[in-house]
Order: sequence, then structure tokens, then C-alpha cells
Amino acid sequence: MGNEEAVFFSRLLTELTLSFHIIYATIGVGIPLMIFIAQWVGIKKQDEHYILLARRWTRGFVITVAVGVVTGTAIGLQLSLLWPNFMQLAGNVIALPLFMETFAFFFEAIFLGIYLYTWDRFKDQRKHMLLLIPVAIGASFSAVFITMVNAFMNTPQGFDLENGVLVNVKPLVAMFNPAMPTKVAHVLSTAYMTSAFILASVGAFRLLKGSNHVYHKKALFLTMKIGLIFSIASAVIGDFSGKYLAEYQPEKLAAYEWHFETEEGAPLILFGVLKDNHEVKYALEIPYALSILAHGDPYAEVIGLDQFSEDVIPPLYIHYLFDLMVTIGMVVAMVSLVYVVGTWLRRRFVNANWFLWIVFTTGPLAMLAIEAGWWLTEVGRQPWVLRGMMRTADAATTSNHVDSMLLLFTGLYLVLGVGSVIVLTRMFRKNPVEQELADRHGEGR
Amino acid sequence: MHVFLHFYAPFIVLIGSIILAFWLAPKDEVFRK
Amino acid sequence: MTYEVIGISVLWLFLFGYVIVASIDFGAGFFNAYSLLINKHHIISGIIQRYLSPVWEVTNVFLVFFFVGVVGFFPRTAFYYGTSLLVPASIAIVLLAIRGSYYAFTTYGELRHKGWTYLYGFSGLFIPASLSIVLTISEGGFITEDEAGLALDYWALFTSPLTWSIVVLSLTSVLYISAAFLTWYANKAKDHQATELLRKYALVWAFPAIITATGIIVELRTHNPVHFNRLVDLWFLFGISFVLFLGSVYLIWKRKNYGIAFTLLTGQFLVAFFAYGISHYPYLLYPYLTIYDSFTSEEMAVALIVAFIAGLGLLLPSLFLLLKLFLFNKDYVQGNR
Repeated sequence: MGNEEAVFFSRLLTELTLSFHIIYATIGVGIPLMIFIAQWVGIKKQDEHYILLARRWTRGFVITVAVGVVTGTAIGLQLSLLWPNFMQLAGNVIALPLFMETFAFFFEAIFLGIYLYTWDRFKDQRKHMLLLIPVAIGASFSAVFITMVNAFMNTPQGFDLENGVLVNVKPLVAMFNPAMPTKVAHVLSTAYMTSAFILASVGAFRLLKGSNHVYHKKALFLTMKIGLIFSIASAVIGDFSGKYLAEYQPEKLAAYEWHFETEEGAPLILFGVLKDNHEVKYALEIPYALSILAHGDPYAEVIGLDQFSEDVIPPLYIHYLFDLMVTIGMVVAMVSLVYVVGTWLRRRFVNANWFLWIVFTTGPLAMLAIEAGWWLTEVGRQPWVLRGMMRTADAATTSNHVDSMLLLFTGLYLVLGVGSVIVLTRMFRKNPVEQELADRHGEGR
Repeated sequence: MHVFLHFYAPFIVLIGSIILAFWLAPKDEVFRK
Repeated sequence: MTYEVIGISVLWLFLFGYVIVASIDFGAGFFNAYSLLINKHHIISGIIQRYLSPVWEVTNVFLVFFFVGVVGFFPRTAFYYGTSLLVPASIAIVLLAIRGSYYAFTTYGELRHKGWTYLYGFSGLFIPASLSIVLTISEGGFITEDEAGLALDYWALFTSPLTWSIVVLSLTSVLYISAAFLTWYANKAKDHQATELLRKYALVWAFPAIITATGIIVELRTHNPVHFNRLVDLWFLFGISFVLFLGSVYLIWKRKNYGIAFTLLTGQFLVAFFAYGISHYPYLLYPYLTIYDSFTSEEMAVALIVAFIAGLGLLLPSLFLLLKLFLFNKDYVQGNR
């Protein structure tokens, strides 16, 4: 058996679907919390701007949710279509969180429907806001459950293989595997962080385009504060992830960091280019930093790639992805810190065009970091689909039609991506904030 | 310590950040005249 | 009852839920586009929009729930169906994706162009057609297994009369279910013009639906005699289903109690759907897979059932709230809100 072409195209198609879906999924997980915070602040301070902020974010959110839902359906089915052998095994052991994810999503979908159509139905605004709690919880828990499945792929446990037969299946043990806590927490905090920065980019863009309305300044200040908090949280949890990797997937950490020789007091390599014979050039070496990242102790021993046979080491280019992810994380954290402190101290540069352009880049950059992070962790798990249990090449379908499906889905994602961007831009260009604020006053609110 | 670091610490950081976000979000006195 | 039977019953019930809500959704999109074509758009588009808007997202979840549940309870299906369904399922995904997202684009994003209404309306008919292929394949005879793996014989599939009768059945029942539901909904909204038009559609599609359903039983006689004989043994269930059908057609004909008419229709499809399912037992895929040899471990089955009950405890009240606010709320239905 085995069909190398099918394996190659299956990987490509899964990579494409995930790369596209993760954009909408990240927004879908993070934005409900942002809307909730905005509406909460608006009600608490009786400030109409924040309420309108929640309202307008919701309108955009619906469009992204729609694309997230359909691409989520696509990846859900593609897992079985492209990786039938993997899903057969996974279905036996890790089906529980997959199943629970649909419930979380169901819960979110129902309350989102209600929330959307009941803006002016409640006398007490707080009741309407309460409808967002199940939306936000459903959205976040969808991410929690799906990430549990991904964590399981990194540290499979909760079952025994005896002569090719699965025995002693323990669904809860499989769910609460060692990779789960850091992965789940990192996925959630980066989703909140990225969503905040995306919304900040929108606000910065409006200010750059000539609007000087305090509405946008409030929006920007709010989202930058949230972005700052969660980018710091993401970095701290990222540090925990390093310690997790050092213990459970040392080959993955070593490949991330181009750590070839096992040694004590290991330095952390940032940037650089890999030459032949594991020679690293132009790199920034931070002494003892890898030992600190891996064990919290500058003199601790960190296992290097020399301890592993060639055929279980992931491709080494992932170090570049690691650099990209970490650098962006640092940059957006710094930008938001400068913005927040600058605003607090009423410095004028925060409203200067050059600075707003920098602020504007945080959203796209954060999304790029999300992509880099997923490529990093997925490629970093290779050659395994289930680490130590099943190789990716053995999991794929044997069908001969995967290449044409790749074309089909490329077309689909183009249509969805272009469509959603056009719709979103038209939606907000046609109905600017100033206009909407004036309309609402006209109605006597 | 080990179980704490690997299991609870990430969630504590996450939940702490959410609470912090709610605490910091309404602080916008800069915009009051 | 064994865990296997509990598992398949739960999944079958959810698939039935999907069949009903998706039929209403697909049919509504089709009638919306069709009325635009014959210049009667002003009569029914309002009613259709008001129904579809709050529930579109929920429909999709039923389907996701079903296939995730199948892989959970019967992991071997992932291997058999996953390998053989790559092409038809991918096409269904693409159609669902375009339809779902462009619904949101047009409704919330002011993408108002007639082309989208048509695309949305007619793509809704291809989805049940492509999904119903799975039922055809499950009857066996289209999948071959050899050293190279599993292969789906497309030529046999697309030249089989069984395939096409199931496709036609899926289309006629989509239109019938949808028209009957919307008649009731329009009547609740006290929109007489729309009620009359939709009532006409319901009556038009009622008999094609029942005739194609009978046609499939005849097809199965030659295609899968084992299944056919089991179907015949359950004749009384199909009899009940037929009586329910007559009842709902009678009520719609007499313009009485559209609500009861739709309830009878749901009963008709429920009984027939389960009669079909029971006669299919124990096979998931003739002759390779039964619910017994593909079942997951007992530990996982218990965990899934517990999760399911807990999940229902959360979902049923929320679904009830959704229905209460939009479907059974007079002011909303009549467009006052």
C-alpha cells in the first residue's frame, strides 16, 4: 500500500484548509470576548460609543463566523476523507473532545442567532449582553476541545496497542494529555491577542483615513490594552510550552532551536541561516537562554538532536517559523505597550500618522504569527501524525483524486476569501460611524 | 510543583489575563474632558 | 439495548433532524429564487427571510454533529467511507460552503444581486442530491476492495437507476417538506397571499415525493434483495407513514390546521426514515461494515453517551428558547419586530 502522490497532496490540501480556516477560527474565538468587553464597558459607563463598538464589531463578526463555520465543516470532513487511517484510530481514542466540540459550537450558534436579532428587544440592555456569555464560552470551548485533539496527536496516551489492537481505552486520560494545558492556553490567549490587534488595525486605519472621532480613539485604546495583556500572557505561556517540550518532545524543541548537541547551559539561537553540516551563521546567540526556556535553570542540560535518529527529526526549516512567531509576538507587545503608556501620559505621538501606521500593522502581523505558529507546531511533529504511533505517510488516503480536490478547494477558498473581504469593506464604508451615531440620535436614543 | 507548572500554570495565566482585561478595559479617563 | 444500537439510534435521530431542518432551508432558498424568476418575489421573500435569518447557522451543526458522531461511535466508517467518498463529499462541502457563506454575505453584507439569489437557491438542490449519494453507496455494490485499497466505481454508481431514484426522492421531499413548513409559517404570519402560493407548492410536490419513495423500494428489490426483504417485513411502518402522509395532504388541501399538517408530515418522514434505518440494520455499508464490527471501545461509547446526555441538557433548553423567540413568537413572525 501507500500512494506517495496521495500523501503529498493530502498534506498540501490539509495545510491549505487549516491555513485558511485558522484565520477565521482565530477571529471567531477571540472577537466574542472583545464584543463582550466593549458592551460591558458601554453599559457600565453608560457610554454609547462602546455599545456602538460592540454593535459594529458584531456585524463584521457574523461574516467571519459564516466563513469559519463552512471551512470548519470542510476540515472536519477532510480529516476523514484525507486521513482515513488516522481517523479510524483517533475515533477510537480521542472522539470525545471532537464530539464535545460540536456541542460547544451548537451552543454558540444558537445564542449568536438570538443575540443578533434581539438588539432592541430587551428593555434592560444587560439581559441582551448576557446572551453573549454562551456565545463567548461556546466559541472558546470549541477551540479548547479541538486543541485537545491536536495535543493528543503530540502526546498520545490513554490506550494500549496490543498486536495492533487497541485496548484499555481511557477517553479522559487521552483528553487530558501532557501537551493539552500549554497548547490550549496558548491557542486561546493568542486568539484573544490577535483579535484585539485586528480590531486595533481597523481603528487605526479609520484614524489614518482622516476621521478624528473619539469613537475610534476609544476603540483603539481599548483593543491595544487587551492586545498588550494577551501578548504578554502568550509569551508567558509560550515559555511554559518550552518547558513542556523539553520534557515530552525534546526532538521538537531541539529542531525549533537548532540545538544539535546535548549540553548544559545551552544558548538560545535566534535568527541565523543554516549551512551544511549543521553550521549556523549570522545568528544571535543568547547564552544560557535555552536552558532557562527548557528547564528554568541556566545550567540545566538540554537534549539535542544528536540523541535522535535521522528519521524521527522534523525538517529544520521550522526554526525560521519559530523566529517569525516570536519576533512578531515581541514587536506587537512593544507597540501596544508604547501606545498604552503614551496614551496614558497624553503624549501626542500616539495620534501621529507614522505611529498609527505602525499600530495598523499589528493586526496583520499577529495573524501572520498565528499562521507561523501553526505551521511550526504541525511541521514540528513530523514525521508523525500521532507521535511515536503512526507516521503521516501511513495515515493518508490511497485515493487518486486528491490533486483535483486540491484545485477544487483552492478555488473555494479564493471565492470565500475575496467575498468576505469585499463584503466587510463595503459594509463599513457604506455606513461610517459618524453617520450611524447621527442616525441613532435622530431616532431619539 | 511539577504538576502545577505543567497543568495549572498555563490556565492560571490565561484566566488571570482575562480578569485583568476586564479590570483594565473601562479605564479610559484620558478621554474625559 | 446494546451500546451499538443506542449509538446508531442517536445518530440516526440527528440525521433525521438534519434532513428536516436542511430540507426547509434548501427548499426555502429554492422557492425564493424561483419566485424571483416568475416575478412573484414580493409575495414570499419576506416570509422566507424572516424564517431563515436566525436559524441558518444551526442547520449546519446537525450535519457536523452527525458525521463527528459516526466517527466517534463507529471509527471504522472513517476508513471505508472516508476513502471512498473523497470526491462526492468534497463537492458537497464546496456547495455547502458557498451556499452558507453567501447567505451571510447577502443578508448581512448587502451583497444584493439577483445572481446570488439564484446561486443560493439552485445550489441548495445540488447539496441534497450529492449528500444522498452516501445512502446509495451504503446499499453496497459500488465499492471494491483490493490490494490497492478501496475504490468507488463511479461508472456503476452513475448508471444505476437506484442512484437517480434516491437523488429524485431527495429533491422532491426537500421541496415538499419545505413548502408544507413555509405554508404553516406564512399562515402564522397572517400573510394570506404567501400562504396560498406556498400551499400550492406543497400540494404540487406531495405526490412526486411519495411516488419516488415507492420507486426506491422497487429499485432495491433487484439491487439489494436482503435489504428489500427486510423492508417488506416492516410494511406496517410504511403503512403508518402513508396514513400520516394522507392526513397532512388532506389538511393542507382543506386549508385547515397547517400546524398539525406539518406535524403529521414530520411524523410521516420520521416513521419512514426509521423504518428504512431499521431495515438497514445491522449494516452500515453492505457488505463490509456492520454496527457491531465497526464499533468503538466500550469505554469510549459510555463516555460519548454521557457527553451526549449532558450536551442535550444544555442544548434542548437553548433550542427551545430559539424557537420561542423566533418561530413561536407572534410579533416576530408577523414582522412587527
